[in-house]
Formats: sequence, structure tokens, C-alpha cells
Amino acid sequence: MTRPEAGRAAAAARLRILIVGVGGQGVLTAARHLGEACLRTGHEAVLGQLHGMSQRGGSVESTVVVGGAESSFIEEGEADVVLGLEPLETLRARPRMHAQTRVVTSTTPVVPHLLSQMGKPYPPLPEILSAIRAAAPDLTTLDSAAIVRQAGARRALNVAMLGALAALEVLPFPAAALWSAVAARTPERFVAGNRRAFELGGAAAKARTSPAPGRPAC
Amino acid sequence: MSDSTNDPLLADVDGLEALLLGNEAIVRGALEAGVAFAAGYPGTPSSEVTDSFARVAGRLGLVFEYSVNEKIALEMAFAASLAGARSICAMKHLGLMYAGDPISTIPYVGVKAGMVIVSAGDPSCATSPNEQDQRHLGAMLHVPILDPSTPREAHSMARLAFDLSEKSRLPVILRATTRVCHSRAAIRCGRLGERTVAGFVRDPKRYTPIPVNARAMRLEIPGRLEAARAFMSEAGLFQRTGAGRRAVLATGAPAAVCRDILREEGLQDSVVLAVMGGVHPLPAPELCALLAEVETLLVVEELSPFVEDALCALCHEHGLRTRILGKRSGHLPVEFEYSPAIIRRGLCAALGLEVRAPVAAKALDPVVPRPPNLCAGCPHRSTYFAARAAFGKEHLYFNDIGCYTLGYGAPLDTVDGLLCMGAGFTLAAGVARVTGTRTVGFVGDSTFFHSGMAPLLNAIKEDVNMVAVILDNQVTGMTGFQESPTVSIAQGAPARKVSIEGVARALGARHVETVRPSDLAATILAFERARAASGVSVIIAEEPCPMFLGRLKGGERSRPAVYTVDHERCQTCGREGSGQRCQQPRTLGQERSMARSRALCASPEGASCDGGARPARVAPCALACPLGLCVQGYAAHIFAGQYCSAFELIASRCPLPHSVCRVCHRPCETTCVHAASGEPVAINDLKRFVADWAAREGVEERAPPRPKPNGKSAAVVGAGPAGLAAAHDLALRGYEVTLYDAADAPGGLLRSGIPLFRLPVEALERDVARILALGVRFEGGRRLGLDLNLDDLLARHDAVLVALGAHHALGLGVAGGEAEAGGAPRVVDALAYLEEARAGLVPRTGERVAVVGGGNAAIDAARTALRLGARQVTIVYRRRREEMPALKDEIAEALLEGVELCTQLDPVRLVQAAAGAPCGLECARTEPGEPDASGRRRPLRVVGSEILVEVDQVITAVGQAPETETLRVAGELLARKKDGSVEVDPETGQTSHARVFAAGDVTPGERTVTSAIAAGQRAAWGLDVGLRGRAAADLRPPPQLAAAARGAEQPHLARVDRAARRRPPELSVERRGGFDENVGALSESQARAEAGRCAVCGMCGNCRSCLDLFGCPAFYLEEGRIEIDPLLCSGCGVCAEFCPNNAIVPRSEP
Repeated sequence: MTRPEAGRAAAAARLRILIVGVGGQGVLTAARHLGEACLRTGHEAVLGQLHGMSQRGGSVESTVVVGGAESSFIEEGEADVVLGLEPLETLRARPRMHAQTRVVTSTTPVVPHLLSQMGKPYPPLPEILSAIRAAAPDLTTLDSAAIVRQAGARRALNVAMLGALAALEVLPFPAAALWSAVAARTPERFVAGNRRAFELGGAAAKARTSPAPGRPAC
Repeated sequence: MSDSTNDPLLADVDGLEALLLGNEAIVRGALEAGVAFAAGYPGTPSSEVTDSFARVAGRLGLVFEYSVNEKIALEMAFAASLAGARSICAMKHLGLMYAGDPISTIPYVGVKAGMVIVSAGDPSCATSPNEQDQRHLGAMLHVPILDPSTPREAHSMARLAFDLSEKSRLPVILRATTRVCHSRAAIRCGRLGERTVAGFVRDPKRYTPIPVNARAMRLEIPGRLEAARAFMSEAGLFQRTGAGRRAVLATGAPAAVCRDILREEGLQDSVVLAVMGGVHPLPAPELCALLAEVETLLVVEELSPFVEDALCALCHEHGLRTRILGKRSGHLPVEFEYSPAIIRRGLCAALGLEVRAPVAAKALDPVVPRPPNLCAGCPHRSTYFAARAAFGKEHLYFNDIGCYTLGYGAPLDTVDGLLCMGAGFTLAAGVARVTGTRTVGFVGDSTFFHSGMAPLLNAIKEDVNMVAVILDNQVTGMTGFQESPTVSIAQGAPARKVSIEGVARALGARHVETVRPSDLAATILAFERARAASGVSVIIAEEPCPMFLGRLKGGERSRPAVYTVDHERCQTCGREGSGQRCQQPRTLGQERSMARSRALCASPEGASCDGGARPARVAPCALACPLGLCVQGYAAHIFAGQYCSAFELIASRCPLPHSVCRVCHRPCETTCVHAASGEPVAINDLKRFVADWAAREGVEERAPPRPKPNGKSAAVVGAGPAGLAAAHDLALRGYEVTLYDAADAPGGLLRSGIPLFRLPVEALERDVARILALGVRFEGGRRLGLDLNLDDLLARHDAVLVALGAHHALGLGVAGGEAEAGGAPRVVDALAYLEEARAGLVPRTGERVAVVGGGNAAIDAARTALRLGARQVTIVYRRRREEMPALKDEIAEALLEGVELCTQLDPVRLVQAAAGAPCGLECARTEPGEPDASGRRRPLRVVGSEILVEVDQVITAVGQAPETETLRVAGELLARKKDGSVEVDPETGQTSHARVFAAGDVTPGERTVTSAIAAGQRAAWGLDVGLRGRAAADLRPPPQLAAAARGAEQPHLARVDRAARRRPPELSVERRGGFDENVGALSESQARAEAGRCAVCGMCGNCRSCLDLFGCPAFYLEEGRIEIDPLLCSGCGVCAEFCPNNAIVPRSEP
């Protein structure tokens, strides 16, 4: 049975972005911002969100599939980009990564209450990061707590992470397009703080990623 | 966020492209169709439909309501349709079942204006208790069903559904599953439709399905369904792409996945893909044509083989031989949502494609799960916490759908069962009815109105033995903050509309209480009243959801304070430095008891904790206890029903629990914070309850493991309380211990001096057996000075611990005593008298007896004399009654039994009987003079005040001195004090000889059983320090000297339990003729209630209540320390109310 290459190409043209985090961090909003940016720049995108019970401090994920797919699933080994708003949640997404997955993760832990109840410590960050790297070596880390503090916008963690993602030039649109999508959906009084977070996130990501020539552009 | 000006649902622009959620796309489609009435009840994944209508209804002028339940929403939409308004109602799949009654008749009556029912399905039970396949309702109810695969289709089908409904005069079910409802995609919008309301045209025959009409209506249904089928066919709801002899037929969300897979596999042209947008009525002509064309057809549909079976029937009917594959052929599963991997596997197998090997998933370490949790500051958490504090482990909790479900499992553990909306009450009532035990049912405010009122009424009608709790956070929380009937969101600021309390009372509930859960004390007390009541008790826990309040204020929470942990106090035992911290593992029950007590005492009822209440580092009772017993620790165990843990905690510090719980002088109770009100906690009775329980249950037979020998041997001389305690501790320290005593059996004063009606011999024997079981060797009948001497003992043992009693009775020091034979009253020593009585020898007892003295020996002797036949017993004491050293209760008992008490009388001389004058004891009246060395005022005889107390026997109990003449090493006496007692280092008990230690009455100090035990333990430690050094000895720290306790901080409590202390049963005075034990033990319920009065005045090093019982997500552990995340803390302060250590305090800057 031959499989026409065109089909493969269609699948390969898709960019599957998985956003993970903890309820309340703005996972769904981050996906929405990406979706709006796609709409503004003429890229087809479908977004998926699993929530309900999970918004009460549980794990939350959202998917953004760019490039003409009809369903928003991202399955094992399918995520091209993982944006992790919390280190353990990024680690949890490992099965969905492949060797070329570009991972951007916050290094600020939100301790799962189950761990505290069991009296166990949060796993050491270096261990989490090296376990993520073992699945996907292209890892960018971000001290999001420091960034939102510096930005003076403590609820802008998701926007800071988007800034970092935009700076990696993995998205099919420039950072400015993403920012204007964010700005359009942000209440006036929070725009300035979010802008600082977006830019600081971008700067931090650029500083932390060494240029990798020859990486296939998405 | 997007305000109304750029809300894509409101923009009346043709061709507008907007990124809409599937649920929003449905709303947009309905608006484009000119929907004029919308209603619904929230339920994931349908909630955004109603929420979107709520958002735009006001601006567009359409009529919208959050109905009280789905049945009402559906009936309202039907009524609107009859009135000529296009109508829509939305609910989750379970909601449509709730509306089963109206929906089953509506197709008979028929709609007028288009009516659409959005019913969201939930394959894989993502947020539901089941994943029913609603497509079966189509055939059952005769209703068309549309099944979109993407948000885009949801939009177009919603618009089309109204026309379909009007053409067929049937309501249309728009069934979308989670994957469609919660996907977001670019939707090309049309213009908003015009809303019209044609009005209700009277036609009773049409709208009244009485049987005769209903039969006629039934016959119209097939025609309507055929109209629907024709319309759906014309509208192109059956779509076909591709060509070939193989086909895939898909419906719903899997259709989108099939399109993606076929494209990715490059099969979009060589395989037929048919997508059925309408699943009922079946598009039979299109299906027959397809079946006739292809050889193989794979049906891809989630849940049941609904379409697959219909195809098989069609093939049979039309004689077609097409191979139908799907669930029945095993290619696809019958349960759960289809992921692309599942579909790809089934599709490749069915079409004869090579199945791509799945990416071999490496075995990865599991990441700790992060289940959902009630938010920080959630009032439900406080309510659950209070319920668990008030109810016992024996109570069952039935709960409801919504945020309340998060009470499931640790730490709140308030879900023993759950079924559906409203069943929290019904399950509780049903279980209560058949088991006869009181149960607890919870429902939320929204649920109460939805389907909780009828179960409550039912329970009241049947007088069910249950507590019905309504968790009223004034919003429908879990589904995203929709209004509930208590509060209206639509009108802006929340205003209370319907009173739950009023409804409950109107339903006939007699016991109704409304509490504010953040007032933890009041909530616990309300639950405790409900627990004690019978019939239906209704508790309404009313406090707004803080998340919702924050949202109303534009995302900013207003926090009264942000709390932090004071690590100086957190998880800190007040005795940390002294090595007195208990070694018990913490238990949830103990933590719960302590947290409850703390909450009740920290704040006055009806007011939140003001932070002014503060426990001491160490509770006053524990400081006062010579043994340093942690009273709050065992009281908490008892309240929790953990009697074994309570006994272990007591026995870990008290070597003679059975004796101490009967004869202790109870300094703890005089320092209890409740003592001021005259009702201190009955601490010793609690100990007695536990000791008796342990004896009954045979706990002691499960003796602690024999300690490891340390190779050294010690002699203990004297087997009274001090000697027994010393032997016990030395044995635990690994010594080979020999215990010598002049008597034949161990016990000393406990065996000879305390009457049986206070300390039965069995109790003492249990204590002795515990100690001997540690390997202590007892040698009786060995008297120091006669059969033993220190020199020999020191030669045979590494060290000697002297624990002799004070057996040398002090004389009365009055004239005439020597002339007994001459008709003067007989004079006997109380100890000798008691010892004879205790041995069952019935000592000679006069008709009229005077007992001289004010201590316990005097009281015991007086009470014994009464029991041995004295007609009159008088206690003569030279000071005032309040200065009597005897236990107050014992004095009271003696008086109750008929003993006379003459205070401020000092014996002067014995008077002989002469010439008709009676014999007796001449006494002088006294008055308090200057304070003496003991700080008490010295009694001074009043000259000329002599009176004669007529008696024929005088029992003297004015004190005893130790006999220390025999304490010689190499002929030399141990150093002694002036009063003849052995001089010791008060901390170690070491005498002037390095290897001789002493404790008990032979040394200076307080002479009570309990302090003797403590002294024995201290001397055992001192001996250990001397022989093995401080480090080894400190592994088992001794009780602290009472002096160390002075000047300690006092607890401050805002509220003290004013209930009267529980009293154990006592023999009535008439039945006290013999020596049976007078006082019994508290009953179990008395003991638990009494233990619950303990205010937990001291800190606890074991406590982790905030994490173990409360589980607020703001708490986390960092390097073993409990911390509060300042970003998550809502400032509710509830944790500060129950923290037993008062370690949770507001941060200085919020």
C-alpha cells in the first residue's frame, strides 16, 4: 500500500502546540491568545481545552493545532511545541513529546497538594529538567516568578511564557502579531504590565537559547 | 477582556470570522436563526451555551433565564415555542434525562415555532458520572437528532435546526460532545436573525394530550419524522467525499478525526468518507445507496453501535451483502471517547492498511497526580471540616454533584456516596431509614432548588433521622458561576431573592440553623447540636464563593489579610527542649480533636477568631503534672475514640496508670483553664476511663518488647510508688533490676495505706504486673537493716536506689497518751490502722473516734473507721478547712458519709473517763497567726477555749517521718537533713554516696503518690547518668521538677466550655458499708464528651492539621516546614481559628 507523500506533507505542515499548567495559571487564556493570533495572521487553527473539574487547582491542558486540521487532539509523540507553565506539568507531558519537540517551561513550582499531604518534598528542579531533556533536548527554561515580579504583573505568568515562545521563532507569525492579539483581549489597566511580562519573557528566552542553525523552520 | 462592543456573538456582520468555542458557535447559530427565548441549567460541557446567552440576552433583547432545573428549562422553551417564539434550551446529557417527562410528550403535541434542545454528551465521563449515548433518545422519543463533528458544524446545524423543527413540528435535539463543545475554531458568521413572537393561538385540542387526543397525535408522528428526514436530506446533512469500494461512515466528533486521518494517510480520494450530521431519523436512502456501492464499510461512532446496528438492519431489509465493520466486528471499542490513535488502529485494520506501529512509549516514572481541590478560602472546606469535627467516624456522608464532590477522599472525606443532583439528601435518608442510624446529606444551593427540596420534604414527611446540610455559596460554582435562585447575577450586584431557610421551614423542618462557615466555632457547635437532635435537622452553611466575589470585582480579590506560618510555634511541642516531646506518631483523630477544641476555644461563638486567643507553650495541666503527662494529647485521643493510643500515651510517662488514675492528688485539675468556673476537665476520670478500657481489652497483655540489657544491675530498695516507678524506668533503660521490700508483695503504701474502697487490689496488681513483666525481679520480706544492708547491695549491684517510705508515725505530742490503760481513749497510728484494715484484719475500732490530722491518711482513716463500725467519727484539724492537704473531693466524700469535721481545733491532752465524766480528747480552739515556713498561717491556740471531744479512740494522722538510721555505707550514715530525710541532689536523686540514689518519702519534698513516682523516675535517670553518662540516660528523659514549671506563660482563651464536668458513677452512701470501690469510671459517651471539653491549652509538636485535615491548596511543605503561598491565600483565616499551636498569623503587610 503506497501512501502518497502529499498526505505526509499535509500532516507535517501542522504545528501542534500543547500548553500545560495548573488551574488558575491561565492555560486556556494562553491558548486563546495563540488562536486569535492565528486568526489575525490568516492561519487556520483549532483549539482544544480539557477543563471542568480540573480548573480547581488540578492539571489543565489546552491544545492549539495550526495548519488545517479539524480535530484538536495532540497524542503521544505528537506535540511539536510544549509550553509548560509549571515544571511538574511539563514533565507530565513527556509522553506527548518527540525528539524534536521544542519545550519552553517555567521553573516556578506549584507544589501539588497531594505531595504536601503525603509529607513528600517537591522533586528537585534539576531532576525534573533533565528528565524533560531526556525526552526532548530542546528545552528553554524561564524563571517566570522573577519575570512577573519584575514586570509588576503577578497574574501575567501565561503572557510571559507566550513572550518566551514568540521569541523562539517557532510560531508561524512574528512576536508582534502575538502581542497585539494579547493586547486586544486584555483589559486596559492590565495591558502595560502584561506587555512588560511579554517582553521580559521574550528577552529571557532569547538569552537562554543558544542559536541552533539548521533547525527546520516550522 | 472582550467587552460587549467587540463580542463576536453580538456583531451583526455577514462574513465575520470569529474564534468561537463549540458552545458559542451554537449560540451564534441560534442568534442567526432569530431565537427569541433561551433557557438552560448549567452542566459541563454545556454551560457556555447558557452563559453566552446570559451575556448577550440583555443587549439583544431576547428572553433568557437560568432555569431552576432542566425540566423547567425545557418546558419553558416549549411554552415559548407554542407562543410563537423560536426557543432553545441547553443542558448536559444527564439534564435531558431529568427532563424526560416533558420531552416524551412534546413530539405528540408538536411545536409551533422552532424549538431546539442542546444536550451535551460526555464520552469518557470527563466531568460526569456516566457517558450515556443520547442518540437512542431519537428513536424512543420520536425526535430528530443532529450530531455535529466540529464547532463549525455546530454553528451551521444550530441555525438549521430551527427550520427543521418548524418543518417537522418536532423539537430538535442538538447533541454535541465535550470534544465539540470545548473546541475552538474560526467560524464564519452570518447576520443576526430577526426575532419574532407570533403569539399563542388558542387551540385546546391541539395542545391537550388527553388520551383521546394523544392517540390521534400519535398517528401524526410518522409523517413528521418523514418531513424531518426529507428536510435533513435536502439540507445536505449526509455528506460524502472520496470514491472506491471501501467506505468509512462517521458521526459526531470522530468524523473530524476521520477526515484528518484519511488526509494524512493520503486516502481522501480512494476511500469513501460519509459523515452523518443527522442521526435520527436515519438517512435511509443515502445509506442504501452507499451500501450498494461499497464492499466494506467501517462505522466510526462513539459509545454504542447505534448507526452500525441500523446499517445491519438496512442490509437485511434490502438484501445487501456489504461487510459492516465497527464495534461488533471488534475494530472499535464500545466505551469512551475515540482518540485518533484508536480510530487509526480500527481504520487501518478495517481497510487492510498496514497498521503503523505505535510509538513505543518508554516506561516513565509516574508524575504525582494533581487532582482538583476546593479553592483556597472555599467556604465548603470549612463546612466539611466542621462537620468532620462534630460528627464521629461512625457517621455516613452522602454528597452531591458540584464542587461538593471535592470532599471526596482525604483530607475532608465527606463523600461516602454520590449519585446525581439532589441525591445527597435522598441517599442519606434512604440509608437512615433502613439502618436507623443518623446520616448526613449535603447538597449545594443550586442543587437544593434544582432537586433537593422534594427529597427534603420527603425526609421531613417521614421524620427521617438525618442531618440535611445545604452548602449555600450563593452561586453555581463548579460550572463557572451561574446564578442560583438565592442570588441574581443578571441584575448586577447580588441581592438575596429566595431564602433557603424560609423554604426549609415552609417544608416543615423544625430544626433549622443558618451558619457562616468561616465562623468555625459556631459551625461546629451547630453540627454538634444537629448530631444530638433526632428527625431532620437542617443546617444552611451560607457564605459567598470568594472566587465569584473576586470575579464580580473584575478579577481582584479583596483579602482581609494574608496569613503566614510562625515557625517558632508550628509543629512545635512546648517541651521540645526538655526532651519531653512524646514519641507517638500523629493520628488524624487526635489532630481532629485538637483542631476542634482549639476552634471552639479560640473564638467566641458568633465571631471570627480575633487572634487574641493564644495557647501557652505547655498547657498548665501538663506543667502541673509531676509526671509531665500530656493531658491534651490523651484527651484528644479519647475524643476521637482512640483509647489504645490514649492508654499508650499515658503509660509512656506513667508507670502505674491504674493506681494513679484512682489516687492522684490531681494538681492538673486545679490549674485547668476551666477551674475558674468550678468545672475543671475531669482529667483523672479520663485517665481512669482509659485505664479500665485497657484492662478490659487486655491491652497490657500486649506488653512492650523487653528492653535490650545494658549489662548493668541495679537494686531498688522499697517497692512503694517511687520504688516501683524507679524499677520500671531502670528496666526500660536496660538494667537488670532487683526490687527489695520488707513486705511480701510490692506496692508499699499503695498496698498497705490506701483503703480498698479507693484503690482495689486488682488495680494495683495490674500495675505491678506491668512492671514485673519488664523483667524486674522482686524479693519480698527483705527489710533494710535486718535482712539487707547497703554494703552488700553495693557489692552485688552496680548501684542502689533507696525508695523507702515514711513509716515512722509522728506522735500526737499531747499529754495523757501513755495512760491508755487507765480509761483514756485508745490512741492508734493511722497508717497502722489502715494497714490492718487493708489486710482485712478488722482493727479495733471505738464507738466514737477522733481522727487527728488533715491529710489524706486522716480522711482515709476516718472513712475506714466508719466502715468498721464507729458510730461517730470526728476529724480534728488545727487549721482551716481550706488548708487541709487532703483532696477536696475526698473530704467531701467523708462528710457525705457522715464524718464530722472540726477544724481550728488543736489537741491538748487525752482525758480519762472519771466519775461519770466521759473520756475524750481535750482540744483548744485556734486562730490563724503569722505565716510559717510553709507559707501557711500558723494556728495559735486561743487561751481558755478548751473543749472536750468525747471519744474512746484517737487515730493520729499528723505525719510520718522516714526511718533513715539503716542507710549506712561502711558504717557511715548517708548525709541527712535536719528532719531526718536523706539529702539528695533534687535533679538526680544522688545521695552523698556516688552509687546510692534515693527517691520518695525518704527524701525531702511533697509526699504524694504521683510525686513519689516522678521522683523514682528522676532517680532512675540520675542513676543512669551516673553509670552510663548523660547521653545514654537522656534517651529516656525523666519528668521535670515542678519548679521548672513556675512562671510559665498562661493560655488565653476567648471562650471556655461552660458545660458541667461529667461525674463518674458512685456508690450511694447507703451502700458504702463495705470496702467495694466507691467511684466508678466514666461511661464511654461521658468520657468522650468530657475529653471534648479540653481546650488544648498547649502546643503540639505532632500537629499537621492544616495539611492533614483542611487541605487548603495555599499550604505546602518546603524542606519539611509548612508554608502558606501568599498568592493563593484568600485571607479567610479559618486555618488560624483551628491551628492548635496558634502558629498561623496575619502577615505584617498584606
